[in-house]
Amino acid sequence: MPEIKSLQTDYDGPIESALSSISKLLRGHYGISKRMVALLLLQEDAEIERQVKEQEDENYKSIQNILPEVKSNYGHPLSYIIAMTRQQKVNNVLDSVIATRDKSDKGFAELLSRAMMNPLSGIIILFGVLYFGLYQFVGVFGAGTLVDFIESIVFGEWINPWVSGIANTIIPFQILRDLFVGEYGLVTLGLSYAIAIILPIVGTFFIIFSIIEDSGYLPRLAMLIDRIFKAIGLSGRAVIPMVLGFGCDTMATIVTRTQETRRERIITTLLLALAIPCSAQLGVILAILSGDGWSLSIWVGVITLVFLLVGFVASKAIPGRGPSFYMEVPPLRLPKLSNVLTKTYSRLQWYFFEVLPFFLYASVFLWLGDLTGVLDIITSWLEPVVVLIGLPPEASIAFLYGFFRRDFGAAGLYDLNTAGALVGVPLVVAAVTITLFIPCIAQFGVMLKERGIKTAIAITLFVFPFAFAVGYLVNLILTTLGVAL
Amino acid sequence: MVSWRKIINTISLGAFGDGCHEKVKLTDRDGLRKIGIVGNPNVGKSVIFNNLTGAHVTVSNYPGTTVDVARGKAKIEGSEFEVVDTPGMYSFLPITEEERVARLLLLTEEPEVILHVVDTRNLERMLPLTLQLIEAGLPVILNLNMMDETESAGVTVDIDKLETELTVPIVPTVATSGRGMDALRKRIIEYARN
Repeated sequence: MPEIKSLQTDYDGPIESALSSISKLLRGHYGISKRMVALLLLQEDAEIERQVKEQEDENYKSIQNILPEVKSNYGHPLSYIIAMTRQQKVNNVLDSVIATRDKSDKGFAELLSRAMMNPLSGIIILFGVLYFGLYQFVGVFGAGTLVDFIESIVFGEWINPWVSGIANTIIPFQILRDLFVGEYGLVTLGLSYAIAIILPIVGTFFIIFSIIEDSGYLPRLAMLIDRIFKAIGLSGRAVIPMVLGFGCDTMATIVTRTQETRRERIITTLLLALAIPCSAQLGVILAILSGDGWSLSIWVGVITLVFLLVGFVASKAIPGRGPSFYMEVPPLRLPKLSNVLTKTYSRLQWYFFEVLPFFLYASVFLWLGDLTGVLDIITSWLEPVVVLIGLPPEASIAFLYGFFRRDFGAAGLYDLNTAGALVGVPLVVAAVTITLFIPCIAQFGVMLKERGIKTAIAITLFVFPFAFAVGYLVNLILTTLGVAL
Repeated sequence: MVSWRKIINTISLGAFGDGCHEKVKLTDRDGLRKIGIVGNPNVGKSVIFNNLTGAHVTVSNYPGTTVDVARGKAKIEGSEFEVVDTPGMYSFLPITEEERVARLLLLTEEPEVILHVVDTRNLERMLPLTLQLIEAGLPVILNLNMMDETESAGVTVDIDKLETELTVPIVPTVATSGRGMDALRKRIIEYARN
């Protein structure tokens, strides 16, 4: 290959002379050209400054002295001047390279894209997506039809009697039999919760989510919601972790890395832990509340209010400036079926990999707790709190489940509801409290890792009493008003 | 799938870490020669990665799907490479955490070839990063991706001319259908040999 002199962008006089004097002073190894190191220094890149300080002991001072000198020549930050020069260079190059045929007719996709971002039509489309995608498909079909079938037919009529039969014949001790097929049995509780209740809900959610994400709707939603989010100290950028949170809050907490400021990341992490129910939890709650429009509306209203209120207060309390927002809006595309299925499959696989062991451990733990009487003790501690917010004492067991996983707790409510022990106002109160209630163990682990131990513990210490306080208030208001649900 | 597994690892191994990503461990694996994939978010880096390595990293139509670094192996004309997919970066001057991770990778791992994947419809927003990579003295191949959408938007690009202007090899592709992937592999191996 012939030696070609590589392309160089030429900057303004003072910048160029600073670049060459800095380059001459640099001795260390950086893995990139000295010119680039000098450019980054002029743009006050903290990481590069640190490296230069480490590697250039004596010359560091002289290098440092160059910066204010160059800066004094300009009214804008140097990073801005440099970026403008570079953009000019790009435009010059492209002038002779690119030809665009004028295509003023952008067609249906463009029209739809605008409608999605327009405040009025955008909200209508959003409600459509929520109603058909979340409520009808995940709530009614996934959490209703599919769960009914798998729970009552597959487990209720086929698997549980069959396994109980086997257990009864081969396991002589009642205690050991209970480990597999008892009230907290591995099969009758762990496996059947995971497969009969959680799988259909999470599965249907991931199908919808994969379709939505591949269509390019999410960045448009981000644009639409940006203004509301600004009020709670977030930008439209937070939409993606939030929406993802409706799938799994643990994953969503990891995705907060895409946010610009530490402040934004903390607020998002807090709101994910508090007010965004994950898909399994959401599905179960939709299923138990969907019978009554009022109950569902109260639940949605309270959670939304908490979300906005806590976000607003947090944005006032946590110091730092508001974020700027800039996001690529990719074209709307028709999702590819194969990609949607692959993604749903790999997400389910991941989810199950994480969830199933938890359910099984929880079963063993509960069985042990039941056996030793520890379960009764812990439940008796929780009982006063649970009764205080107007719930039947049996509900405390569901909250105990909630310590293990959010969805597990919601599944516990589902059981109580189908047994007729939890209906009306207490049901709504329980649903609200368990939604706000502590993040699951996996989410807590990720919070520790991403936000540090202090923030993670502070968030948890806030969320836990806050959830019960809101539950208490909702109960108080509903009973005082004499609302019958 | 790789990234999901990574997330599980993150959860199980790092649950008690110090909450700091500056120390992302970027280990040398087997001392293979490396191909680094960089570019703006949502230009198809992960699809190119999947095509080169035969892996199945989750691909989505929104920016920021890859928040971690994905790694895989590619065999091109008998030579084995380690391919490294980075989170999106808009500029060599990082603003977000993921941009920092992407740049740190370029600085510490010094890949043999850096594949800058761009959305060809928006060259005026994509090329500033190419210029920076060239300025940094890095071994860049510019990959003009999404050529199909570019063509249907009525945009034509004089590739030969752009190549002379930028002084780096340029390869047009449609990663989702595989168009141009053979040419891309060829350019990579040519470049790595020089």
